[in-house]
Amino acid sequence: MTPCEEHRLHLTRRALFGRASGIGLAALASLLPEPARAKGQPGLPGFPNFAPKARRVIYLFQSGGPSQMELFDYKPRLKEFSGTNLPESVRMGQRLTQMSATQSAFPVVPSKYSFAQHGQSGAWVSELLPHLAKVVDKLTFIKSMHTEAINHDPAVTFLQTGSQISGRPSMGSWVAYGLGAETADLPAFVVMISPGQGGSGQPLYDRLWGSGFLPTRYQGVKFRSVGDPVLYLTDPAGFPRENRRAYLDALGELNQLKYAEFGDPEISTRIAQYEMAFRMQASVPELVDLSKEPAGTFALYGEDARKPGTFAYNCLLARRLAERGVRFIQLYHRDWDHHGNLPKGLPKVCKETDQAAAALITDLDQRGMLDETLVVWGGEFGRTVYCQGRLTPSDYGRDHHPRCFTVWLAGGGIRRGFSLGETDDYCYNVTADPVHVHDLQATILHCLGIDHTRLTYRFQGRYFRLTDVHGNVVKQVLGA
Amino acid sequence: MRWIRVAWLIGFAAASLPAGERVQFNRDIRPILSDRCFACHGPDKNNRKSLLRLDVEAEAKKDLGKGRRGIVPGDPAQSEVYKRLTSTNKTLRMPPAYAGHDALPPAQIERIRRWIEEGAPYQAHWSLIPPQRPTPPAVRNPAWSSHPIDRFLLARLEREGLSPSPEADRTTLIRRVTLDLTGLPPTPAEVEAFLKDTSPGAYEALVDRLLASPRYAERMAIRWLEFARYADTNGYQTDGPRDMWRWRDWVIDAFHRNMPFDQFTVEQIAGDLLPNATLSQKIATGFHRNHRTTAEGGIVDEEFRVEYVADRTETTGTVWLGMTIGCARCHDHKYDPISQKEFYQLFAFFNNVPEKGFVYNFGNEEPYIKAPLPEQQAHLDSLDRAVREARAKVEALRPKEEQAQAKWETRAARARPEIDWNVNEGLVLHEPLDSPKDLPAEPGRLGRAARFDNQRFFDAGDVARFNYRDPFTFAAWIRPESPKGAILSRAEDYFEGTGHGLYLIDGKIRLHVIFRWTDLGMRIETARPVQLNEWQHVLVTYDGGMKAAGVRIYVNGEPQELNVLFDQCIWPIETKEPFRIGAGGGLRFQGLIDEVRVYDRALSPREAAVVPLLDSLTRIAAIPAPARTPAQADKLRMAFLERYAPGKAKAARSRLAMLEKERQRYYDTLPTVMVMAERAERRDTFLLKRGAYDAPGEKVEPAVPAIFSNWNPAWPRNRLGLARWLVDRQHPLTARVMVNRWWAELFGAGLVKTVEDFGSQGEWPLHPELLDWLAVEFMESGWNVKHILKTMVMSAAYRQSSRVTPELLQKDPENRLLARGPRLRLAPEVVRDQALAVSGLLVERIGGPSVKPYQPPGLWQELHGGAGYTPDKGEGLYRRSLYTYWKRTVAPPNMVNFDSPNRETCVVRQTRTNTPLQALNLMNDVAYVEAARKLAERMLLEGGKTPADRIARGFRLALARAPREAEVAAARKALARFEAHYRARPDDALEYLRQGDSPRHPKLSPVELAAYTGVASLILNLDEMVTKE
Repeated sequence: MTPCEEHRLHLTRRALFGRASGIGLAALASLLPEPARAKGQPGLPGFPNFAPKARRVIYLFQSGGPSQMELFDYKPRLKEFSGTNLPESVRMGQRLTQMSATQSAFPVVPSKYSFAQHGQSGAWVSELLPHLAKVVDKLTFIKSMHTEAINHDPAVTFLQTGSQISGRPSMGSWVAYGLGAETADLPAFVVMISPGQGGSGQPLYDRLWGSGFLPTRYQGVKFRSVGDPVLYLTDPAGFPRENRRAYLDALGELNQLKYAEFGDPEISTRIAQYEMAFRMQASVPELVDLSKEPAGTFALYGEDARKPGTFAYNCLLARRLAERGVRFIQLYHRDWDHHGNLPKGLPKVCKETDQAAAALITDLDQRGMLDETLVVWGGEFGRTVYCQGRLTPSDYGRDHHPRCFTVWLAGGGIRRGFSLGETDDYCYNVTADPVHVHDLQATILHCLGIDHTRLTYRFQGRYFRLTDVHGNVVKQVLGA
Repeated sequence: MRWIRVAWLIGFAAASLPAGERVQFNRDIRPILSDRCFACHGPDKNNRKSLLRLDVEAEAKKDLGKGRRGIVPGDPAQSEVYKRLTSTNKTLRMPPAYAGHDALPPAQIERIRRWIEEGAPYQAHWSLIPPQRPTPPAVRNPAWSSHPIDRFLLARLEREGLSPSPEADRTTLIRRVTLDLTGLPPTPAEVEAFLKDTSPGAYEALVDRLLASPRYAERMAIRWLEFARYADTNGYQTDGPRDMWRWRDWVIDAFHRNMPFDQFTVEQIAGDLLPNATLSQKIATGFHRNHRTTAEGGIVDEEFRVEYVADRTETTGTVWLGMTIGCARCHDHKYDPISQKEFYQLFAFFNNVPEKGFVYNFGNEEPYIKAPLPEQQAHLDSLDRAVREARAKVEALRPKEEQAQAKWETRAARARPEIDWNVNEGLVLHEPLDSPKDLPAEPGRLGRAARFDNQRFFDAGDVARFNYRDPFTFAAWIRPESPKGAILSRAEDYFEGTGHGLYLIDGKIRLHVIFRWTDLGMRIETARPVQLNEWQHVLVTYDGGMKAAGVRIYVNGEPQELNVLFDQCIWPIETKEPFRIGAGGGLRFQGLIDEVRVYDRALSPREAAVVPLLDSLTRIAAIPAPARTPAQADKLRMAFLERYAPGKAKAARSRLAMLEKERQRYYDTLPTVMVMAERAERRDTFLLKRGAYDAPGEKVEPAVPAIFSNWNPAWPRNRLGLARWLVDRQHPLTARVMVNRWWAELFGAGLVKTVEDFGSQGEWPLHPELLDWLAVEFMESGWNVKHILKTMVMSAAYRQSSRVTPELLQKDPENRLLARGPRLRLAPEVVRDQALAVSGLLVERIGGPSVKPYQPPGLWQELHGGAGYTPDKGEGLYRRSLYTYWKRTVAPPNMVNFDSPNRETCVVRQTRTNTPLQALNLMNDVAYVEAARKLAERMLLEGGKTPADRIARGFRLALARAPREAEVAAARKALARFEAHYRARPDDALEYLRQGDSPRHPKLSPVELAAYTGVASLILNLDEMVTKE
């Protein structure tokens, strides 16, 4: 943000909080929540650039690289090729990771799992995902995703920030920066992680939801599954809520005295931020208190949804965050990196995620929220059709594969029951309608009413944006 | 929105141009052209959209054909630039509407028109002209201050119709300057002494005292660590540890000794290349090893090695040049005259380090050096002395020992039954295979041997459990009948499996030490095959050094020529497999194996020759000494020393061995630090197309960009030359960039606000003359850092009150003109250190390994599982924050909450946000709750009897001032509420006071202390507390 904009926001904040200076502090506190809740933090002037279809995003990131040919990209001919070496005409000298580059052979392995067509749209879905199979008519699949990175760290960073090298703002930060917040009780950008039980989890770093060179208030706030959901949220033991209220009244009064004397608007902002902290202390526990959810909720999402730290719990929380006006809800599930032992690991992680992801779609739709919420499901790359490591009748693994992978989208702005893009019979190269990572990012922003070329930030003399200097909105996936 | 940006760029410099004043290219025109035109009409040749180029004067004014010129000096109407800017035809107008660009605002067009009318003179970019010392301007009110800084500032204020603010009151002033120069608050005693000292030199004496304090050096180091992207971990994937604190302590020491900044630069960039470089100068080069490194499986080594070199290049550009040269990594710079080729010429300076892209994840990666502290070096010297003395003693006893040996040999030659011996030290397994379980046995080399049928094997159980850094020796007699088989292994039973294995492949002896076949482990084999159907002794040793070079293979005691097949043994190896003889790696053995021996150390070559000797001691002793082979002589000697030597000699030898071990153990504990080094043979550097490691273009040599004219041909074209160039008096940037950054820290914004960008897209300096004056003053003082900081804080501008009037807020919301003093939220480290200091918890000790203060549990595990973060006990909880262990991927939350950069890359710009997470942090983090309790104890113990006095004591300790009445009243109201609560709920009081490891004062009433702890926390959360006023 430029200082001019900063100053304008500053004035907005003062308009919200500063003019109450004549009123007693307790009164000020009681006045704050309503207008604040109504307003949240404003976005940039001129944003959204056009009428948005979606007001928010729920991004179900499947970290590690789900195997596209085992889940959505049905490749019946692989059975014919089974065990044969991947032809050079398909591989075309493309680079491999150092983990399989030294293999002496690259035997093709077909998926062990059967596929069937579902819904009116006739989407092919693997037997591993019975719940998602039931909602396919609400989804758009993109089977022609491709990326530039071949290892986790750069690839996740690329998807989340538009650059393989860390240091750029993440997608959620860009959106929070551009569109602001719809609530003042919760952060605009929330992150939740579920580790999975299969043990193939890759680490996930704070920088993936960092704000890069954007002001840090746009960074994602991680809701944790152990301890305080938000760091330092809970008052110290022995210091109950009524003490905190008295404390904040006195603190506000003391800061107000300072403001009267010094006139620095930062002081007013600080008073307001302490009040927001106080509200978060109430709103976050209320958010994670599932006791009022009807039994039907857990029938829908599965009993796992009661357990913090599971994907199902995070999906349920995502819906609750969406209801409360959070702009960008980023989930990560961490267990998709099946270099070996795929037949053991993949069913497990599918079971951990399938029901809840489908439930989230159903739940949002039933509540009339799906049309205003963009849901994205996908990982950082796909997996190779050839076997990595030991190939036995019951066991195989797959290496990282950036040339093609599948994501699906649903909700605000997205067609229902559609599939875009094709890959070759080996599920190795894209053969129709390629969609680059920057295109996906441009499309997500488009659904939010943002022209991806206009959401920029000047840093070190250059205007940066999420899509770097690339990206085209994928018009085919947009709904009416 | 676009025009707002440009208006901001031009900012205060020329928002409105007085009617009589001439347009200045650098100030008035370049920012517009750079921002709106250069992307297509600028330095990047690949992106130029037409023949017209506007960044070079001759190009802008040349004939483009048909008599059209971009700029016709003196004639806007004939100038294509002006015509296009003002065109009403949307397809012709620039910047182009079809690319989504808006037209320039009228005021800017008017300025360009005037500039052309005035002849369109160009200027070299201001920051590339070496600074000269300007004369401070005349002012209308010289009485305010005679300090040159103030003269420059005042002249501007007077032009704007503003006047400076009065001096801040003395308590504010001492707190401000103490926080600024030491990062810690003044104590009440220091405040009192300053208030009492009414001499005119009191403030200067205060400044001198602060600059002399080691706290000053710690505070200066913090920002430098951020520039240097210093951290305690490598930053990728599981983010393993490294040890760079010796470099961090070098920085503190350099600031403390006020090392001139030119020397500070040279030692960090090229200390290793200085003649007779000292340990300290080598440690300094750690600066450029602080970048992130990766140990992620599967990466392409060269891709990341290139990344590290690029990081060094870009960091050097940002820190010293204040330029975004990284932009030129993939293409010519779009705004500044730096070509892609020039980027790689700079890159070439840093491209000659003997390093890898794929690094060790559990400690320092090469090149690194041992960097003992002075006291450690002294202790090491004393151990070396003891070893030397012990060795001399052994030598002194040698004649007697040899006599004794000769006597013993005579006896041994006659011994019946014969006596024998083999190397015993470190033997963890000896399997003679005389009667192997479940296997047939035949006469072998010694007794009987086991026969293997390419199916069955011998399971030796859970022995020889070696990890990747454990030295070992495997030895066996073999009589192979097939060129392929497994001799022994402790590994998964398939060829690429994890573990240790000794195999026969094509008749060659092959050692595998593998974690993951494809990238983590080592594989070594002999150049020549062994003989089939003959007995041979094979012996392999590994020294535990994670390198194939530490492996030796012997056949019949003879060292073999080896081929290294793979060499990356840098990851722990664990396997539950048993130790198998005649099996492993999916292979079996066909033939005989006898006398398997495993040691937990690497035998020496002489020992390796002794192990296979089948001649008994008795037989060897019977051979006349001159006729014995060296191995025979060694065997006698070794056996004698171990078993038969006289007590005195034995004692002397075991003492020597013990001291050598002790010395080695101590040596192993000494800290290391990664440093810069040069390869013997220079690595070629190529321009990398699109910045990609695998797309080399033209070959380039080290050089600085052509826009700089101060390269001296006498300098070597290496890092040392580069460093000398950076701190040359004629260098246009380094001094300006540095003084601007320190200015920004003291005053809130730089004179060039874009502290990281002095290029075309950077801000035109608000006070170019003042910036140049400071830069020249800095250089001419001998790059004296303390001097230049003192110069700044001695100014009247720095000492002004920071009170904001509505008028000032309206005219200068960001306080760029400095008509008032700076009022800024404190840096993250200072926020915490201050709380520790005022509560009395702070433990001040300079340097040493990083410490682990409180952190909410589970943060590290959430990243990648594992043992997680264990906070220290005792003083590690209370050290200054620059010593906090910095894990890049999970940076300390109470630093990041307050805008610390995460140390992934060089960051020179400070941000100061104001968020609810900061409020939660200060209210609820155990570090601050504990600090509040300790501050409350001080309020009660030092503050007298009445609540008002105690509250006043809290204010004095925390804020260096007495509270006003209304403040006392507000605090008392809260106190009364807390007291009422804790009287009613004394259990809550105990609970509340239990936070933090430090003990609660036993004499104080818990109810009272809890209530005061609430008030102390209030004070620690005041806006004023986290603000420098």
